[in-house]
Amino acid sequence: MKTVLLERFVQEARELLQTAASGLLTLEREPGDATAINEVFRAVHTLKGSSGLFDTPPLTRLVHAGEDVLQQVRTGAMTLDSNVVDLLLDGLDQVGAFIDQLDRDGTLAGDADRIAAQHAGALRARLGGAETAVVVIADTTLPVAPPEWLAGFPAAERDALLARARAGEALLAVRYTPDEGCFYTGTDPLAAIRDVPDLLAVTVAAREPWGDPVADFDPYRCNLVFTALTAASRDAVEQAMTYELDAVELRTLVAVDAIAAPTPAPDVAPEPESSALLGEAGRHIVRTQLRVIAGGYDAIRLRSTGTLIGNLLRSLRQDALRERWEIALAEAIAAEDLAPVAAFLAALEEGPAPAAEAPPAPAVPLLPAELPASATADTPSAATLPAAAPPGEPRPASKTLKVDQGKIDLLMNLIGELVVQKNALPFLARRAEEIHGSREMGREIKEQFATLDRLTQEMQGAIMQIRMLPVAEVFDRFPRLVRDIARRLDKQVDLVLKGTDTAADKTIVEALGDPLLHIVRNSLDHGIEEPATRVAAGKPPVATLRLRAWQDNDCVVIEIADDGRGIDPARIRGVAVDKGMVTREQADALSDQEAINLIYRPGFSTAAEVSDLSGRGVGMDVVLSTVQRLGGRVSVTSQLGQGTVTRLSLPLSMAVTRIMVVDIGGSLYGIPIDHVVQTTRLDPGVIKRIKHREVFVLRDEVVPLIRMTALLGGRPSAVDAGRGEAVLVCRVEGRTVGLVIDDFREGMDVILKPMTGLLAEVSGYCGTTLLGDGRVLLVLDLKELF
Amino acid sequence: MTKPHVNGKRVLVVDDGMTTRLYYRDVLETAGFGVEEAVNGVEGLERALMGDFDLLIVDVNMPKMDGYEMIAQVRVDPALHEIPIITISTEAGERDADRAYAAGANLYMVKPADPALLTETAQMLTGVEMAR
Repeated sequence: MKTVLLERFVQEARELLQTAASGLLTLEREPGDATAINEVFRAVHTLKGSSGLFDTPPLTRLVHAGEDVLQQVRTGAMTLDSNVVDLLLDGLDQVGAFIDQLDRDGTLAGDADRIAAQHAGALRARLGGAETAVVVIADTTLPVAPPEWLAGFPAAERDALLARARAGEALLAVRYTPDEGCFYTGTDPLAAIRDVPDLLAVTVAAREPWGDPVADFDPYRCNLVFTALTAASRDAVEQAMTYELDAVELRTLVAVDAIAAPTPAPDVAPEPESSALLGEAGRHIVRTQLRVIAGGYDAIRLRSTGTLIGNLLRSLRQDALRERWEIALAEAIAAEDLAPVAAFLAALEEGPAPAAEAPPAPAVPLLPAELPASATADTPSAATLPAAAPPGEPRPASKTLKVDQGKIDLLMNLIGELVVQKNALPFLARRAEEIHGSREMGREIKEQFATLDRLTQEMQGAIMQIRMLPVAEVFDRFPRLVRDIARRLDKQVDLVLKGTDTAADKTIVEALGDPLLHIVRNSLDHGIEEPATRVAAGKPPVATLRLRAWQDNDCVVIEIADDGRGIDPARIRGVAVDKGMVTREQADALSDQEAINLIYRPGFSTAAEVSDLSGRGVGMDVVLSTVQRLGGRVSVTSQLGQGTVTRLSLPLSMAVTRIMVVDIGGSLYGIPIDHVVQTTRLDPGVIKRIKHREVFVLRDEVVPLIRMTALLGGRPSAVDAGRGEAVLVCRVEGRTVGLVIDDFREGMDVILKPMTGLLAEVSGYCGTTLLGDGRVLLVLDLKELF
Repeated sequence: MTKPHVNGKRVLVVDDGMTTRLYYRDVLETAGFGVEEAVNGVEGLERALMGDFDLLIVDVNMPKMDGYEMIAQVRVDPALHEIPIITISTEAGERDADRAYAAGANLYMVKPADPALLTETAQMLTGVEMAR
């Protein structure tokens, strides 16, 4: 039960943190947004409530501090400036870290208490002293530090530390009065006090007035008293000061202004001699009913209380008392007077009713004396107890099921196996016909196969739907990120997200994060100008960065557009020449778009200074290779002075790879269809030789030919003179090559299995798949081969 | 989780916290109650009006309609004049408790409600005969 509950909590907490964080960002932009503040507050409030179910006081304390700050914002007592937002976001991040710890270890890390106290202290410091707060006396074995101990500290420092103490952090005050003659004993008081671990602040003062600097000053007599504040434990302090313990006094630091009257909990603590009949819960119920009806005569409320107390007595099998209660109730309702009921409740609460007695309890002095005896017989019972309802069938409250991703992946793999296994059936059918000579059996197998084929396809489709995630999964982290980066760069950026519910396979969506992050950072770092520069260029000071996603046939397109300074092709050309990537002549011959495309080359970076944001070494080349690995494309267009648009186009799903099966040297291989430009058959006469390489001309382009049998081994089959050489024209990393193979076979959709175990290191293959007859098909990785 | 018996009583838990709802469900189902959930005051009110419940457990701070409002609306229906209602809130304040009583609640508990106390209270309020 506990683990399920904790799992649920982890999940809920993460969602609530996300809600709170995005709401805060909205609020920072629109401070008056009442919906947003309520949403943030409720998220944090719910989180606090849920966290109370677990033994995680630091987590609850931190969330509580955040809630208190938000409450003040909500009531208008505090304005939400960027600094408060920073504090809150930091606090939420810390809560997120706690949640991660809980998720991983089932418990919080050892330093959670201290860390939570720091965050909570920083938050509570914003509240102002008037707020009452939970006071945790750090070490109850120690007396509280007197205020004069703290007088020597600068006010700001003292208040900050008091805020931490108020937030529940265990702080100690150490007063160290070294011996007057300590200079003769080799003691260094300053070094001694500095040895106190986790030292937060130290002051030095004179014990006695210094007197006349010339006449009275004795440089060999120590007249100092040190006061230190520390977050260390008493033991640690005593250990550090072990030789000076006689001169040390320890006190607990408590924020004096925080010691307000603690709010009494409404469920009053049970008195020691709690009635054995009612028990704690029952006494609370009865006492509360006295309060509930105290508001004055109200028929509805009274009847509700009547039912409830009736239930209570039934639950306790006090039938005799229950009868009396109904009489008292009827009397009260008839007379519209609460007295009989109140008296009964008061008597019931005070007890002591003989709990051990059997159900037909003897008359206990519970019946109020003033109750007329006549009321017993003829007054109808007003408190009709509800008939026992039929047993409730617990229905699921939500139609959404949360499933661990690993389980979906497992299902996906199993279905992949099923697809492959199913492909063995036509092979079996052929064997039935050809080897066992049973045409009938072959036909039946084929029929079964057709049904199975349809079912597995539907199943595969259904699972792929489950794997679809909205791009919001990655987009959602950008508001925070853009805000933080923009703040660090002193730039003003308005982030616009569109099409966040566009869905794509989870592998794609998850892999999108890093390329997107890089492009967005580039845009903020290099594209978007400082507000002053923008104004000078006639643009609004606040830049706009748009992240947009939409579905285009079987692709998902992500567009990142800024209205920054754009990419200067001339500058790109210059950098490329300086870096020796192209010659000046080549650079000049490039069109502007071609020049811009140079940014994809490895090692290209135009930022004059390396910033810690975009960094060094990771450039657009990495974005390109990531996107290509996912089977997608990248394009960048830019208008100098107007902005840059980067567009990523990715397949909706990559679970299934379409390959073309080819015959090379008598073996079958798969080639990912993404690479294939066209198939052709070449007459031996059109194959030319340039130096040692065979080439042919395809639409004005000289295409090198690669004989795959030479590369992969195997015996080339004789060329059928009438048909020519089979050539598969492929594009690999922007180059066109012609692969000379023995024959083309069919195209098929397969689920690629990565090369594992001993084969994992073998390059040139991107994976394997099983053919219908059980043979393993190697799928070539052309990028690695050439 | 063992469910030793079913006591035939049905509880509606109204709370916007997913974890909290699961917790109440766990505690109450273990004690033999049938449990249904609602995630805000509006849904809670709808379910309370439609369903045949023996006890309502209502959170105070909820989206759309808060607990006070929901309880007040529940009490408007004559069929629900007498149903026991527990408010469970994170706020341990007298004022909040009085507000809950004024709205029509019968009991005010502070989160997190102790499982044994919650079970015993729910049994007492619904008249489930307790083991002796």
